[in-house]
Amino acid sequence: MDIYLDNSATTRSCDEAVAAMVACMRDGYHNPSALYRPAVAAERALEAARETIAMPLGMEGCTVTFTSGGTESDNLAIFGALCAAREPGEVLYTAAEHPAVKNACIQAAARYGHTARVIPLDAHGALNLTALADLLGPRTLLICVMQVCNETGVIMPVAKVAQLRDQLAPKAALHMDGVQGYLRLPFAMKGSGVQSYAVSAHKVHGPKGVGALVTQRGYHLHPQMAGGGQENGLRSGTENTVGIAGFAAAVQAYPQGDKARAALLVLKQEAAQLLQTSIPSMQVLGLQPEDADSAPHILYAAFPPVRAETLVHALEADGVMVGTGSACSSRKHKRSEVLTAMGVPPQVIDSSIRLSFSITNTAAEIRFAAERIAAHYQMLARFTRR
Amino acid sequence: MRKVLQVRFSEIYLKGLNRPYFLRMLVERVRDAVKHVQGHVWLSDSRIYVSDATDVDEALRRITRVFGVHSVCRAIELEKTDFQAVRDMAVQMMQNETGSFKVEARRSDKRFPMDSPAINADIGGYVLERVPALTVDVHRPQHLLSVEIRDKAYLYTKPIPGVGGMPVGTNGRATVLLSGGIDSPVAAWMVAKRGVSMSAVHFQSPPYTSERARDKVVKLAQLLSESLCGIRLHLVPFTDIQMQIHEKCHPDYTTLIMRRYMMRIAARIAHAERAQALVTGESIGQVASQTMHALQCTDAVADMPVFRPLIGFDKQEIITLAEKIGTFETSSLPYEDCCTVFTPKHPATKPKMEIILEGEAKLDSDALVEAALAGREILEL
Repeated sequence: MDIYLDNSATTRSCDEAVAAMVACMRDGYHNPSALYRPAVAAERALEAARETIAMPLGMEGCTVTFTSGGTESDNLAIFGALCAAREPGEVLYTAAEHPAVKNACIQAAARYGHTARVIPLDAHGALNLTALADLLGPRTLLICVMQVCNETGVIMPVAKVAQLRDQLAPKAALHMDGVQGYLRLPFAMKGSGVQSYAVSAHKVHGPKGVGALVTQRGYHLHPQMAGGGQENGLRSGTENTVGIAGFAAAVQAYPQGDKARAALLVLKQEAAQLLQTSIPSMQVLGLQPEDADSAPHILYAAFPPVRAETLVHALEADGVMVGTGSACSSRKHKRSEVLTAMGVPPQVIDSSIRLSFSITNTAAEIRFAAERIAAHYQMLARFTRR
Repeated sequence: MRKVLQVRFSEIYLKGLNRPYFLRMLVERVRDAVKHVQGHVWLSDSRIYVSDATDVDEALRRITRVFGVHSVCRAIELEKTDFQAVRDMAVQMMQNETGSFKVEARRSDKRFPMDSPAINADIGGYVLERVPALTVDVHRPQHLLSVEIRDKAYLYTKPIPGVGGMPVGTNGRATVLLSGGIDSPVAAWMVAKRGVSMSAVHFQSPPYTSERARDKVVKLAQLLSESLCGIRLHLVPFTDIQMQIHEKCHPDYTTLIMRRYMMRIAARIAHAERAQALVTGESIGQVASQTMHALQCTDAVADMPVFRPLIGFDKQEIITLAEKIGTFETSSLPYEDCCTVFTPKHPATKPKMEIILEGEAKLDSDALVEAALAGREILEL
């Protein structure tokens, strides 16, 4: 049986999600916009799914717009806000942002005559609040801050960002990419100061190809697609009812609350401890696992001098799957921009792997994986370029 | 009247008494090439003909890639007894052309009443009268209308060049060391073009190389397979050998010694394949293991000729050929290859044989080679 420790890249769809999707494909396939009774049922299911997905975020005052996933949600939040600004301004994004946010900011700024600016990181990978304060001002239109960094697992100080925004750029909107944080960290939209929040189903045991943009009620965005005006006119196209059914079922099945998070944290800390003991030269990148601002499900560590890819392939032979930074860029032969922005030396970046845990992982799996990492490390570390 | 593809062959003309053998092989190769478009193939009077293909464009494309084919043309076949029909077809074929033209007749049926110059004059005059936009230029015509009088009459205008060479299978077998890079597929293609059937050996080094790197080599072999009339690919595990070399041999010599083990293993496979030579994509001085001295050292372990068809090529010349044969894109896919841990920082460019032998003496060569051979995977592509 494979041991899957790359849950920040994607997750296996849970049985509940699969069952809900099959049922939707077989029986609940009707177009929610049609007039007859089964279509009404489809529409009701859609509205119920909206509530299910908003529930963990404190529902009150939230609007859920379904999209094709995290990337589209981020794009909608960024292009949808920047295209309508009356005067040229600035969009800020942290150096840790996923390309879905970073590239959307750069392209939207170029298209609509704004300026895109990067908020630098501190040595641990959190955004530098002093630098942010310097960047904020009356010209700021939008600030993009991710909830949890997909590479380092560092939790960004969004409450402090919102405070600074209120003081220095009260008109600016705050967009949060919640793809790596949704359900795994407590977060309530109300009172957060966040205007839009992007989530993706496949990171929480739902299907790929579906996500949502959660916005504060009354926050206005411009649609980026022309069509039939579904989703209150914000996102045209017949709703992906199958994917949405799977998404909602996955959210319902996801164990929430402090206990579930504590269980994830136990896995992460055990992994870190076992590895640190057997491989003293291991370097944790980002915050130490016991730090409160370190997400409970991501452990990013370097094992110099062993190359990350070599370790990944060695582990895959044992059925252990781990990641190397952002999966989307791991085949591009480009060094992680996040680690580079944190000032991590290239040889350390090249030897860093990401273990990302899920509620489905067990302590026995973690022990086996840690034991295999140590064994491969001992063997592979003997071979360095001479 | 019917439409056929007329195939002309290249060097086989130079053959003497065994020309029928080469022709038979070429007909077989053309037949294989058009098999899946159901083309009917036959040999008649020094030409190969293909008719009734379900997709003529595809048949044409495939035939132009068959080694041994000089050119292919879309020809109209008529009864030569009805010469008026030949004249009318000539007019029809030239109807939409403008500028200068020339008729070039070839009469292999010497019983036909008109000789070639007479046919040229007759058809040329007939076309000239009926297509006013055309003039005659016998020295540098813009359009050439060919008329061949054989068992039947054949008319065609634009021959499409083939790759040339000789039919695969007429010149023995060779085994190529296929790396996944740009050079080795081109080398394999060049040797196969001389009529040599090929098998390939690829060395894999998991976990330093990945499944994707393996897929890439399989894809390259598949791309070559059409021209090479099938290829057997041996995937040989090589990590243990690299690790042992790294631990026991002089650091500046690791690549060179590794190349010697690749040669040893490839030669073993070649013998088992009844091949007469090895083929590599090396060219002089391209990298440290391809200096004259280094090549001498790698050749020393191969007990058969090692052919290096790219030996005098620049990288750009190789890339141009790779693009032509359709392997460049796949060869350039950037899959990770972490074997760099095994490559020396300062490779020996003028290696000394005694250092190589001293290093190899520390390795159990026979056992390593046997283990690699035993662990190999064989794919028929």
